Amino acid sequence: MRSQRHAPESEDHGIDLAPMLDFMTNLLIFFIITTSFVKEAGITVSKQAAMTPEGREHGNIMIAVTESGELWMDRQRVDFRRIRSMVERLAVERPDDSVVILADKASKAGVVARVMDEVKIGGISEVYIAADDASGGE
Amino acid sequence: MRVRRHQAEVHESTTGIDLAPMLDFVTNLLIFFIITAVFVKEVSLEVTRPTGEMKQDKDDNPENAAIPISVLMDGTIWVDNREVDVRAVRANVERLHAVRPKAGVLIVADQNAPTGTVVEVIDAARLADVYNITFTTGQ
Repeated sequence: MRSQRHAPESEDHGIDLAPMLDFMTNLLIFFIITTSFVKEAGITVSKQAAMTPEGREHGNIMIAVTESGELWMDRQRVDFRRIRSMVERLAVERPDDSVVILADKASKAGVVARVMDEVKIGGISEVYIAADDASGGE
Repeated sequence: MRVRRHQAEVHESTTGIDLAPMLDFVTNLLIFFIITAVFVKEVSLEVTRPTGEMKQDKDDNPENAAIPISVLMDGTIWVDNREVDVRAVRANVERLHAVRPKAGVLIVADQNAPTGTVVEVIDAARLADVYNITFTTGQ
């Protein structure tokens, strides 16, 4: 009727794995939760160096603006109108996302401003401009 | 739920479920998430776009009028109606910030101005302890 017999028998096992498993599961959950599901732009641009950029936990939708004014988002080249619909979709999925614009230093300010407007219309109001950290690890 | 007694008698050494494969799997997942967690780390500067309300505030309260900085097509920077070098922007913003402590910085860039210069101006304003930075382009 009872399965009390297990208690003495389980001492045959070398190490009790249960606490380790608990700990690892906690770690796993922690990393799953803190992982920001980054939407990479899919292209590398040469950004302006700056002294005061900050790393952000929620900056995870990347939109790249190249020197020639091409827009890249989610590893594909996109159009202005597409940015709005893509941001709208992502804003519904994860409302506290923010957008980081990876603007080439030779790109035109007008293009960056227009991308920022499209993102805002798409429903995400937090927009950042990416820069290279030149502060030397301060 | 308890282990069926007959089975327990047959496999005397097992205690219910074998945890080893699950443990392997969980470890793999863990390693995967640890590795991907640090993959992309962009550092960035915060900027805002002008909104309708800001305009009203500005009109009401000239004391808090934003510090305007113009970036022209060729990348030259104008602060307070004078052309200044990139390295002098910080000092200029500091001076104007001392006069109007609540004022933010309004960057008015030409449509064709290089973004690099705009970022440098944003950086200079942040170095001057002004974090309320608005970015707009001339129409």
